[in-house]
This record gives sequence, structure tokens and C-alpha cells, in this order.
Amino acid sequence: MIVTVLKPLDEILDSVSPYRKILIAGCDGCTQPPRGIREVETLKQLLELASKLKGKEFEFKLTSVVKQCDSVLTTSALKPYVDDTDAVLSLACGAGPQTVAELFPALPVIPAQNSHFVGIDDREGGTMFDSCSSCGDCVLALTGAVCPITRCAKGLLNGACGGAREGKCELDPERDCAWELIYKRLERLGQLDSLKEFRPPRNYQAKAWKVTP
Amino acid sequence: MTQPVAEPKLAVNINEDYCSCCSICGSLCPYDAITRDAEGDKMVLDIEKCQVCGICYSACPAKAIDTIYYDCDSLLKYLVKVKPQYKSDSLVVMCKGSAPDFSEVGKLFGVSDFIPLSIPCVGRLSEEILLQAIATGMKKICILACDEDYCRFDRGSPLTGRRILALNRMLEQLGYGKDAVTLKRNSLKVKVDKDLCIACGDCVFYCPYDAPTLESVEGISFDLDACRGCGLCVSLCPSFALDLENWERERISKLIPQLLAEVKPPKILVFRCQWAVYPPLNGDMSPNIRTIDLPCAGRVDAVHVLEALQNGADGIMVVACSEDDCKQEGVSAKAEHVVARIKEKLDQIGLGERLNFASVSPRYPGQVEEAIGQFRQKIEAIGSKREAK
Repeated sequence: MIVTVLKPLDEILDSVSPYRKILIAGCDGCTQPPRGIREVETLKQLLELASKLKGKEFEFKLTSVVKQCDSVLTTSALKPYVDDTDAVLSLACGAGPQTVAELFPALPVIPAQNSHFVGIDDREGGTMFDSCSSCGDCVLALTGAVCPITRCAKGLLNGACGGAREGKCELDPERDCAWELIYKRLERLGQLDSLKEFRPPRNYQAKAWKVTP
Repeated sequence: MTQPVAEPKLAVNINEDYCSCCSICGSLCPYDAITRDAEGDKMVLDIEKCQVCGICYSACPAKAIDTIYYDCDSLLKYLVKVKPQYKSDSLVVMCKGSAPDFSEVGKLFGVSDFIPLSIPCVGRLSEEILLQAIATGMKKICILACDEDYCRFDRGSPLTGRRILALNRMLEQLGYGKDAVTLKRNSLKVKVDKDLCIACGDCVFYCPYDAPTLESVEGISFDLDACRGCGLCVSLCPSFALDLENWERERISKLIPQLLAEVKPPKILVFRCQWAVYPPLNGDMSPNIRTIDLPCAGRVDAVHVLEALQNGADGIMVVACSEDDCKQEGVSAKAEHVVARIKEKLDQIGLGERLNFASVSPRYPGQVEEAIGQFRQKIEAIGSKREAK
């Protein structure tokens, strides 16, 4: 799923301050943590509390879209509100505000989130990890389903750089060395031979800017 | 001459002079807090293990155990005092853990006017108190216990079942009819609105009892037999698809402005786990403080904290059990995390210090008053005026 972090409230307040009637639109889709109606309600309350202190008044309307990156679903969810709205404050990943902007060209859209990555949710540790760079040329079949493009700090395709210490990356001692993880997985799967295969430099053209499935 | 120093009062005490060392208390204690000492001549209470359920108190044949909460004498005094006020001779005693609001309780027993008495676990009711209540003129006595496997003190509800069975047999012989004391059971569980569920799986992860399952886009389903009504999933559900019987979100939302309108600044609202604090039967209410009891601190909801601030609360305190004492498998620790997260947001707008989390136990009388007192002083120092950051 797309992992997002709420922007600092000050930044959000600054962005919405030119407007009065604001529609806060959540997203029930893949955004993680879920940015559904509870997050919308909570953000509304926080903005109201903060704006009262600054003597500013907003009029908030609240909704949440099943998938904000879906033009059909977003149109039907937002349509009842947009005529009486000065700006939309979106709680979706970066795709959400852009969808809204395409659909309602006259309406300013403000993102409330910083989107970080396509991630794995480690529930127990309460942490999410970057796991997929959407590169358009998936190599996971050869690497024991550990992505070297995303999880190796150097994005190496042909094995470890040699800088790792005790399984951790030389650039960040908290980060696992992706190639060590790959080696262990392949060893477990009895597929170490796949490391002998040379992989030519990535085809960066494989990354599409549009697809028609 | 130095003044004698008063011993700190404990919530439960064993009086050695009366104790005949029969061990009934030790065998009934769900927490192994009472054991026979090495010499075998007295029973010893380890207050650190005690969860103050009161089962030992109600079961001691020698009346050698004292408790400062809801003991026989104070319950009877209370009943005599409030009886004229309710103009009723029906008494309904209910466990806080399973009782819906009083009108629903009345419907359960088919009584419209009654004296309600809400206590933590009906397992602390001895036969004596029920007999005394009959002797003072109570015509109908109803007891609402939790379902047996829902009892937060494990043995309180099953013990009450056996106790009422025996008591009714005795009362029947005395001519009071077959069911002089009515016992019913109830449990408060999660409610699901599948139409609102976004199938995110958060409840599946957070539930300590594996009650929810999510297998398809159909949305969540709950095994209600497994649900223990802690409310954690309700407080965390991102789409408001879950609610908890008797602690519905809207019900608490309505209560917040009502309570805050009653008090004078500094206005303090306390969200309190019902197992962390045993309030006095009719304690005087502070002019500044109001309380909302929760089924467990896990039901503390960020939305309610923010609503309290919106409605003029100067300070909000969340009172929970410690992680070790939590009656809901570590839920209080998760509640602390929920509070920390909302505090982090409030810090950003300069209101963070108006929210406080404390863990207390009824085994230390006065602990909660002290914690709230300290918080109140802090809020008084900050003042009621809020200023932009």
C-alpha cells in the first residue's frame, strides 16, 4: 500500500488559510495508515482548535472516498459538495489530490499528507518499510522476492557492494543489507545458482508513465 | 513525644485476630494473592498481586477480611439512605462490566422503578448483604452479572451463580418463594456496521482475542463469543464501522458537552477505566472535575478527546490500569499509545500539555486523587486561556 505521513499541522493551516469553505476528503483505499472518515474527523477537530487560537474561522465539510485515485468514485463522492466549496483538503496519497484536480479544474486542492513509498506494513513493530519502487521491470523472481532496487541503498543488481557490516548497510547501520537478505533467501530456496547469472544494467525505459491494461 | 504515624491504608486487609486460617480466601482468589504463610498459621495477602475484586471479602466465613470499597456496612447504609429517594423496594445490583444503562437494566428484569447499585464485580456480594437487604424491606432483589467467561475477575460471576442458587434454596425454605433473588447475565459487545467497513484489517490486528476475521471484500465479521468488550477496535476503526454496546461513540459525544457545562474553570474531564478506579458510592463531586467511565482505557477515543477540548475542557485526563493490571490483555498499554499519538498532534498546536495519561490501581487508595490533583495544579498554572502557538 501507499504509506503516507500527515504533514505538520502548521503547514496544513498555512495552505488552507486563504480559503473558508473546505472539504476534507479522506481515502478508504490503500493509503496506510487508513485515512478514512476517522482521520478526516480528527483533522477537522485539530484544525478547528488551532484556527480558533489564531482567530480564524473555517467551515468544514467531511467525506471519504472509497478510492480517491479512481475518477468515477471520486466524482460521485465529491460532486454533492464541490459547488459550495472553496478548496479540497485531501488525505489521500499524491494520486488523490491530482485526481481531484483533474476532475474539478476550478477547485484548489491541498495535500494533507506526505507520501513516502509503496510499503510493507510490519504490524507488530508498528513500522512500515519501503519495498517497491514501481520500476516497471520486476526482478523479484531472481532475488528471492527481496527487491534490490528498492531495498539496496545503491540499487545494485549483481550482488553486494562489500560494504555491509553484520548484515547492515554501510550507509545506515539500522538498515538491513538487501543483498544479504537475498543471499539468505536464495540459500533457503536452494537457488543460489541464480546469483551466477549476470544481470545487465536496468532498462530505465521499462518504467511507463502510462499503461492501458 | 512523637505522634504515632498512621499506617497507609490498604484496599484489602486480613485481620489476623479473626482469621482461622481456613484458606477459603486463598482458594477463591483468582490471582493467588492470598497464601498460607510458611509456618502455616496465618493467611498472608500480597497486595501487589491483589486486583481488589472483593471475592475473598465476600467469602470469608470469619469476616476476617476488610475492604475499603463497597463493604457490607457501607452498602447497607447507602441503601437505607437512598431508598426514600427512589421510592422503590426493588433493588438491582449490577456489575459495572456488563450493565447497560439503567433503563435497559430495568427492562431486563421487568422492573420500572428500582434502586440501582453498580459495583465492580457482583462476586464481592456476600449472602449477608442480600439477606440484610431483604431484612430492610427490599421486596425484589435482582442481580446482573457478566456472562461467566466474560467476568474480568474470572471467578466472580461463576461464584455468584452458585451463591444465589444456595441462597434461594434457603430463602424458599423460609417462605420467600422459589426465586427471591433473580440472577441474570449480560455482556457488552462490539457492534458492526458492515456498510461502513473499509476492510483495512486494523481490528484484526489490534483485537487481543482474535474476535474479528477479515477474509473477503464482504468486510469484517466478529465472533461475539470471543469479544470481551474492551473497545480498542472501536476507538481505532478508521471508518467508524464499529461501536460498543453502552459505550457508543455518539452516546459519549453527547455526554461531553453536558458534563463540561456543569463545571467551573479549570474544567477537567477524566476518561476513566472502570477497573482502575473504584469511586465512592455517592462521593461529592468536585466543582471542576467530571468523569466518563470507560469499559477499559482501550475505549479512549481521539475524537472524544478533541470534542472535549472543543467544548471548553481545560484539561483532559485518561486514567488507566497499569499494563500488568489490565483486565483486557495489554489493552491499557495500547491505550497509552493512542493517547500519546493524539498528544503529539495537540503539541503541534500548543495544546499538548492539556492532555495527560496516568495509570493507577484501586489497590492504592488515594492514588487516583493524587494523580488528578497534580494534573489539576498543572492546568491551573497554565490557566484557562488558550494562546496561539
